[in-house]
Amino acid sequence: MSSTVAWLIVGLGLGVVVVRRRSVAVGLVTAQALVLAGYALADQSSGGSTAAAAVLLLRAAVLAGALFLVISRTRESAPVRAGLSPLTRAAIAVVAGLLLTWVVPDVGLGSREAERAVLALVGFGLVVVATRRATLFHVLGIITVDNAVALAGLSQRAGSPLLVDVGVALDLLLVAGVATVFHERIFAEFGAGDARALRSLRD
Amino acid sequence: MTSAREWLGLAVVAAPLAGAVLACGVPRRLVQPAALLASVATAAVSIALAAIALARPGQPFVGRWLVVDAAGGLLVGVIGVVGLASALASPAYLRTAETSLVRPAYAPRLYYGGLALFQATLLAVPLAGNLGAAWLLLEATGAFSALLVGFSGKRRALEAAWKYLILTSLGLGVTLLGIAVLESATGSGRIGGLAWSAIAAAGPSRQSALVAYALLLVGLGAKAGWAPVHNWLPDAHSEAPPPVSALLSGALLPAVALVAWRVTDSLQSSIGAAAHQLLIGFGLASLAVAIPFLWRPLAWKRLLAYSSLEHMGVIVLGIGFGSPLALAGVVVHIAGHAAAKALGFYAATPLIEHLPQASRGAVSGLGRTEPTLGAAMGLSLAALSGMPPSPLFVSEVLVVAGGFSAGYAWAGVVTALLLALGFLGLAHALIEITAGKARRHRSPASGMRGMRVLVACTGALLLCLAGASLWLPGSDIVAVLARGLT
Repeated sequence: MSSTVAWLIVGLGLGVVVVRRRSVAVGLVTAQALVLAGYALADQSSGGSTAAAAVLLLRAAVLAGALFLVISRTRESAPVRAGLSPLTRAAIAVVAGLLLTWVVPDVGLGSREAERAVLALVGFGLVVVATRRATLFHVLGIITVDNAVALAGLSQRAGSPLLVDVGVALDLLLVAGVATVFHERIFAEFGAGDARALRSLRD
Repeated sequence: MTSAREWLGLAVVAAPLAGAVLACGVPRRLVQPAALLASVATAAVSIALAAIALARPGQPFVGRWLVVDAAGGLLVGVIGVVGLASALASPAYLRTAETSLVRPAYAPRLYYGGLALFQATLLAVPLAGNLGAAWLLLEATGAFSALLVGFSGKRRALEAAWKYLILTSLGLGVTLLGIAVLESATGSGRIGGLAWSAIAAAGPSRQSALVAYALLLVGLGAKAGWAPVHNWLPDAHSEAPPPVSALLSGALLPAVALVAWRVTDSLQSSIGAAAHQLLIGFGLASLAVAIPFLWRPLAWKRLLAYSSLEHMGVIVLGIGFGSPLALAGVVVHIAGHAAAKALGFYAATPLIEHLPQASRGAVSGLGRTEPTLGAAMGLSLAALSGMPPSPLFVSEVLVVAGGFSAGYAWAGVVTALLLALGFLGLAHALIEITAGKARRHRSPASGMRGMRVLVACTGALLLCLAGASLWLPGSDIVAVLARGLT
């Protein structure tokens, strides 16, 4: 795995942490998947690369279509404000990424660069879910973590089994589908896709 | 040649899938009967598979995709029985449901279709022959069960379903990263490399195996509701329709624990004692987090939800101790907890109809005003608290004794103390609910004839389990489980 590609994907992930608009964030996770698919196509070292690229492309297209459709159906008068400023979120994400790469030892992916990129992306996904109030960003956090796993799969020396790639893509689409149904219902019920409204269940 | 176990393994999943197709395809008035019929068929096949798997525990079927062994058989039996009971309890819930995610005309189709798909994927989890398939199935259970958790479409249900979907999916994302690390460490690049026995045979390096195991366990812990990654559990269990809560608590949580058990046994040779220590840590944390809530006057379903956290802690501790005594305790605990917890959740439908404020706050004195309902809730709580002769009393003693015999005396002592505190909390709730001060109620509870039958059946089942639990520690089942699941 080329370190430029790995860190480009990480940069796009940091963008998801920082940006305000949902549509821009959807564009960023879609761009991540497209870069991953492009890398899989360009890298012919393992037999499953073309098929893996096709799966990634299809997944990216379906997810982008579904998420943009949801955004158009749940127009917000103004973006839901996150509790923390973009700079603070970025700082937290970078610290989380660094912490993960520091804590997790070498696990034998293709290169240490790729491992660091994967762990940083996982950290970014967790930070997106933890710090963003717009409910659609929670789904984008999960997709970011999933893109990290796809990056890990492509970084492996032996490649990941195609069946697992296909299954993961199908499952992600299923979860994203259910999440979009709930997002629309939350929007209809609460008047906004804002996680602050989802805090009534406490002990 | 395909063996009886393979056929039954396929039939166990096919029956609820057929139920889902029927729920979507038959005329509206036939949706409920078709779903009930499919549930009866599913339960029959599940019990047959469980009987065969447990009768000959030393002859498991182990394939690339399918494993039919004693542990899987036990879980399939539990899921089949709880699934049937939940299907039978569903008409009462749907009669009282005022709202749903979809238009009223489509609500039964969505409910029964979702229930069947949830049960089909859930039944496949204990039979999954490899880690990749188990992950895919767990993720699918999350999507289908989230739809059911939010089925009522009410604000609180939407909140619970959203938290459940996001947190468990995020957890399973971390699990998937663990699988990627494991794949890399074993270097197979094939789906066969993720088969339980293949993972053990590949012998990944200790460092890679430990990182993969930690990621897998944290992710699975989020799905199984282990502390400290349990935040979705009380909300989802309290806001889901009661028959779905019964399946979530009695069937889904132990099914995820079984996957963690298989992972532990697969990586044991590479990791050593650290595998067990991590599980013990999760188990003790779950007990410690649950106990304070068992002392508080909570709404009935929320109390049951925190009790699930406590009981998952016991099951994880038993798996972590890993000694024959502890594993005997795990077997009894899975079955006993499912029976007692399901009864408690089924009692919630008439309870909330009878006393709407019971969905938000603690209730008292039901033994005086509604004896049948009080008996159902009392039996459930008495069994869950571990009051003798509940099978959960025996299983908890076995798990604690198993901790000592495995050399984890300190953990055994802490477990015993926490369980005693949990017992006191639930015993207090039991006294309040059955013999506490009675309040004026809006209307008499309905459906009490069915509830009486359910109480009698569950009481008999719990007594049988308590009897069986005395025989279990020296049995072949436990000997086979103690040798490892791979």
